[in-house]
Amino acid sequence: MSMNLTLRIWRQANPGTPGRLVEYAAQGISPDMSFLEMLDVVNEQLIRKGEEPVAFDSDCREGICGTCGCMVNGVAHGPDAAATVCQLHMRRFKNGDTITIEPWRAAAFPVVKDLVVDRSALDRIVRAGGYISMNVGAAPDANAMPVAKGLADEAFDAAACIQCGACVAACKNASAALFTAAKISHLNLLPQGQAERGRRAVAMVDQMDVEGFGACSNEGECEAVCPKEISISNIARMNREYLRARLVAR
Amino acid sequence: MPSRLSFFSSTVGSKILIGLTGLLLFGFLIGHLAGNLTLLVGAESFNSYAHKLEGLVPVLYLAEVGLVAIFVLHVVRTLLNVWRNTVARPTRYSDKRRAYHTSRKSWSSTTMPLTGLFILAFVVLHIRTFKFGAFYRDPTTGERDLFRLVAEVYQNPLYVGFYVAAMILIGMHLNHGISSAAQSLGLSNQRYGRGLVLGGRMLAVVIAGGFAVLPLYMYVAY
Ligand code: FES
Repeated sequence: MSMNLTLRIWRQANPGTPGRLVEYAAQGISPDMSFLEMLDVVNEQLIRKGEEPVAFDSDCREGICGTCGCMVNGVAHGPDAAATVCQLHMRRFKNGDTITIEPWRAAAFPVVKDLVVDRSALDRIVRAGGYISMNVGAAPDANAMPVAKGLADEAFDAAACIQCGACVAACKNASAALFTAAKISHLNLLPQGQAERGRRAVAMVDQMDVEGFGACSNEGECEAVCPKEISISNIARMNREYLRARLVAR
Repeated sequence: MPSRLSFFSSTVGSKILIGLTGLLLFGFLIGHLAGNLTLLVGAESFNSYAHKLEGLVPVLYLAEVGLVAIFVLHVVRTLLNVWRNTVARPTRYSDKRRAYHTSRKSWSSTTMPLTGLFILAFVVLHIRTFKFGAFYRDPTTGERDLFRLVAEVYQNPLYVGFYVAAMILIGMHLNHGISSAAQSLGLSNQRYGRGLVLGGRMLAVVIAGGFAVLPLYMYVAY
């Protein structure tokens, strides 16, 4: 049983020209297709008609790389919990549905083309403090540095961030607080991250602000759309780390 | 640790400031409500409470100036953030819905700047009505009879209705504000983050409900 859908897709030729929503009919869509496969089918039809296909990002198509991402009916990555848009399936929709598809919107995420946005602001936040200092030489023994189980778990949960940018897209303030908090938590919780603990918190928050992201209003929309279900308790930790670093660290 | 930004202009530092001043104002509300509950006891106890408060002159002035400063910081820093947040998303979504699952977005959270501005206007009106309202003198003690003014004001059902409605809006502001402030100050973790939201909601109901009961009581009882 196949489905016929109406798509309203954001089309924008390049960063300089204004975009608009354009309606397309998606016919003969199998409920077993993924959302991105559905877009592939639509694009093939567009190419056959000699029209420009819809540009969108994707790579692994199994929810691990963080390349894909768009707003599906007003929700980042669509309606499924703990899933990227590449893991969303068409069986989530009904025959005859209208689906609005828009790019992530933020001043810090300029549209490159159609659904593709430039997320390099997130890379610059990571570059500002997402590293640890190590002595070069032989690899240390794997068990030389004990890490408490609870801390290891929390650090790992934060490290699950795939940098897709859905948190920014979902936030009413286009804040990157959850992303930055996850990156700070990931390293600040671990013994390997202690050397740069204070400098990391300050440098990464600084960079987040310089990029023009908004402030956090604690609505938790980010946590709700995060494909890795990263908790906003990381944001509380970021604020503690930042406060501590600005007050006491040198 | 040196930074390119001043603490209070950073997104994190500004939220710490807003949270801290918000919690201090919440603390004031608790004290204010506790004092006002003497209305339920009667005219004498309310007037003597008000008189004792007025008697703390140097400390009282200091507290008043401090309270105004906290209020101004809270409002001004929030307005600056609202502006910053608007600039952070220049193009709006044509379709944006509440995320599902664990989202804490609510009527309370989305209307924070509006309920906040309402509270600002309400506080000005409130101070004019009572602090700078009619000055009755108690013939027996010779002191200000504030109770009479309160009882008079709350004889007007329109004013009672307005006051109760205002308390609902303050309750909404607190409903998001208390737990949000705690989160901004870093007083939350994965284990009790949800409990904090619930606790904040309960406190909001108690405070707003407590204040709303007073005009209703005064209307019915006097
Ligand atoms: S394409 Fe890799 S997460 Fe979706």
